[in-house]
Amino acid sequence: MLKLKNISKSYGKGTIKAVDDVSLDIRPGEIFGFLGPNGAGKTTTIKMVVGLLKPDTGTISVNNIDVWEEPLKAKSIISYVPDNPEVYDRLKGIEYLNFIGDMYGIPKEQRQRKLEHYLELFNIKDAVGDLIASYSHGMKQKLVLTSALLNDPKLFILDEPMVGLDPKSSFNLKEIMRNMCNEGKTVFFSTHVLEVAEKLCDRIAIINNGKIIALGTMEELRSHAVERKSLENIFLELTE
Amino acid sequence: MDKIISLIKTDFNTTYGLSSIAYSFKSKKNRWQIIVFGLAMLSLIPTYFMIVKGLGSMYDVYSQIGQRSMFLLSGFLASQILIFVFGLLYVMSKYYFSNDMGHLVPLPIKPSYIIGSKFVTLMISEYLTSLPIILPFIIIYGLKGKEGVLYWIYSILLIGFLPVIPLVLASVLIMIFMKYTNIGARKDLIRTISALIFIVGMIYFQLKMQTIARKALLEGEDFLINLISDSNLLVKKLGLIFPPSQWATLSLANYLNFGGFSNLLFFVLIGVISFIIMIILSESLFFDGLIGNIEVSASKGKGKKIDNKDLSRETRPYWALAKKEIIMIFKTPVYLLNAVGGVIMIPIILVMSSVASGDQSLKAALEMMDPNSGLLLLAGAGFIVAIGMINSIGTTTFSREGKSLWIQRTLPIKVSDQIIGRVLSSMLIQTLGTVAFLASIAFVVRLNVFDMVLMAFLGLLGSIPMTQLGMVIDILRPMLEWDNPQKAMKQNLNVLIGMGVGTLFLGAIGFLTIKAINKIDLYLIYILLIGVFVLSTIILFNILEKLIKKQFEILE
Ligand SMILES: Nc1ncnc2c1ncn2[C@@H]1O[C@H](COP(=O)(O)OP(=O)(O)O)[C@@H](O)[C@H]1O
Ligand SMILES: [Mg+2]
Repeated sequence: MLKLKNISKSYGKGTIKAVDDVSLDIRPGEIFGFLGPNGAGKTTTIKMVVGLLKPDTGTISVNNIDVWEEPLKAKSIISYVPDNPEVYDRLKGIEYLNFIGDMYGIPKEQRQRKLEHYLELFNIKDAVGDLIASYSHGMKQKLVLTSALLNDPKLFILDEPMVGLDPKSSFNLKEIMRNMCNEGKTVFFSTHVLEVAEKLCDRIAIINNGKIIALGTMEELRSHAVERKSLENIFLELTE
Repeated sequence: MDKIISLIKTDFNTTYGLSSIAYSFKSKKNRWQIIVFGLAMLSLIPTYFMIVKGLGSMYDVYSQIGQRSMFLLSGFLASQILIFVFGLLYVMSKYYFSNDMGHLVPLPIKPSYIIGSKFVTLMISEYLTSLPIILPFIIIYGLKGKEGVLYWIYSILLIGFLPVIPLVLASVLIMIFMKYTNIGARKDLIRTISALIFIVGMIYFQLKMQTIARKALLEGEDFLINLISDSNLLVKKLGLIFPPSQWATLSLANYLNFGGFSNLLFFVLIGVISFIIMIILSESLFFDGLIGNIEVSASKGKGKKIDNKDLSRETRPYWALAKKEIIMIFKTPVYLLNAVGGVIMIPIILVMSSVASGDQSLKAALEMMDPNSGLLLLAGAGFIVAIGMINSIGTTTFSREGKSLWIQRTLPIKVSDQIIGRVLSSMLIQTLGTVAFLASIAFVVRLNVFDMVLMAFLGLLGSIPMTQLGMVIDILRPMLEWDNPQKAMKQNLNVLIGMGVGTLFLGAIGFLTIKAINKIDLYLIYILLIGVFVLSTIILFNILEKLIKKQFEILE
């Protein structure tokens, strides 16, 4: 579903190597966790997938569509929720949602059905008539989640999605992610909390200093960790 | 005192982005951009010198009728009134809509300290606008009249204090205004509308004052005799429009005797006293107008329910984009005031100044033009095209996205929809401006319906490439790092660069048109113009398509 081949990215004219030769192959219908401490290169990797940062080397494809060759095609099946969503705060919530719906060309019935469902679920139905400027951080995040789900994406990409959500919304989001996978869709998300990845993911990749240092199911990783000291240290770093 | 100095320093740095300019000059790409900007500005210099030359002959005229001082008064009046008008806008945005207020208010600093430090930074901005105006007057007067050293010393003092009184006036008026409009959820809209009315009203008042002063001058039979006996007669009468300008003029005109000195003293003292009064007033006025500015209305669930209709409105992507742009422009005070306010106010002010001042010169000039020459129609169309750049919508379209640009870059939007949607939003506002313009000139001259329609059509058509030119500039160097919309529009160099490039574009077309006007049939000219506009629209569209695609990939 999502294939990253030998992706590298440096900042500041090559002085900071944020992502170093990362390759990943994420299967359809899987929840994939991208785990690593702060500054490991998670956000950088995700930005390259969604078209916000051009990789220095390597290729990225979604459903065999190269995201940098045919961006429009790729983007129409991806939805992305950034870690700190900055949205047009002079729009009302509903205006923003309709704007996103129009951009994806989502038909009326689907739009109405999805909105009813997610607005209710995230408990922001009463707020969508207000200016986004009046929203709290969590409400903004829920609005962006709703807008990302409108499109019924084949690939759902989230950067640190649980940060800032209240427990109930966080629970709901996890449910949504599971349901999507049951429908054969793919979820790729980053986190710096081991527990979140552990409970939710089919497979996990651990990234540190821009390199993938381990990849597999949780059990596989745990058994590796016993053998390898470095992995155990990373685990300690990621445990809350 | 330390507090004040540190406030001023910080404010200064954030306003002019000194550190960021120094920083950006280090990178090659930015250096190149600054050079282009410099060239665009250089293209305005010949115009400036033409005006200065014109001033030289104006001096000679006043000199001949023995009223040299009137020349100085014109300079002081022009610069002080301009400072006042700009001051209203600057003060509003600086005191009330700047992003540092959120940090400053919770700090244990008195309102008067904040106002005081902001005032000082504003003074610097005002020097930048007023020096190019007042300097030629003072220098021409000084050189042509071979004035002595004391003249130049007085001049420096006067220039130093020049912005104080108009800026104090503007500050106090705005503080009162903000205090009493700080009401309810719709205060942004209320304020913007009343601000527009207020500014138009102020200008009208100024112009009316001028007429009254001029009328008073010509009354009585002794006018000519008095003119000869008192070389400052004109200044004493016309100076009533704005007395501080009169004091400044009288002090320079009589710098050799005590009258000059006392006027200088008066000018400086009143400046200082008014500043102190403003500072005292700010203690009780400022926070009342400020607090709650950031707050917007939230219904907290008690708001009106969303209709199903709202949930499922389908719009084409470019319309949706244009709609979003328009909503954002109308809901953000700075954008509304600059983009829409400018587009509507400029034509109104232009026409009002001719009506209110009672002098029929504009009217006469317009009537003198042969209606069949098409000159009027073409000039009107050119004016509308110029507004297409002045509205700044094209030159800030990507900058206005700011940190939200990720939305546009991760959505599957066709580049052509990007262009069409953004141009559409500019055209909608242009249409408003065109209506205001047509309505205003209808006051002055009679144009037949066909001419009006043709003028509007040509003007709007020409606004498309104008907006696109702006977009080319903005996509090349979008200003995305801002917390305050202020930055995207008022502190954005793209706006200035756009005006430079736009002047060149319109200037070239205007020049060719004037050359052609008596040689080719008028209708052929219209058709040629349509051809030029359509062609440049297509060319710019193609350029934009490539640029946007490329920039959306590489921006970080
Ligand atoms: N815009 C940037 N400019 C320079 N360095 C950056 C930039 N963004 C991130 N980095 C650096 O790249 C590395 C990876 O950052 P990031 O991908 O944000 O990590 P994560 O999301 O895993 O916390 C860090 O060392 C960070 O300092
Ligand atoms: Mg991150």
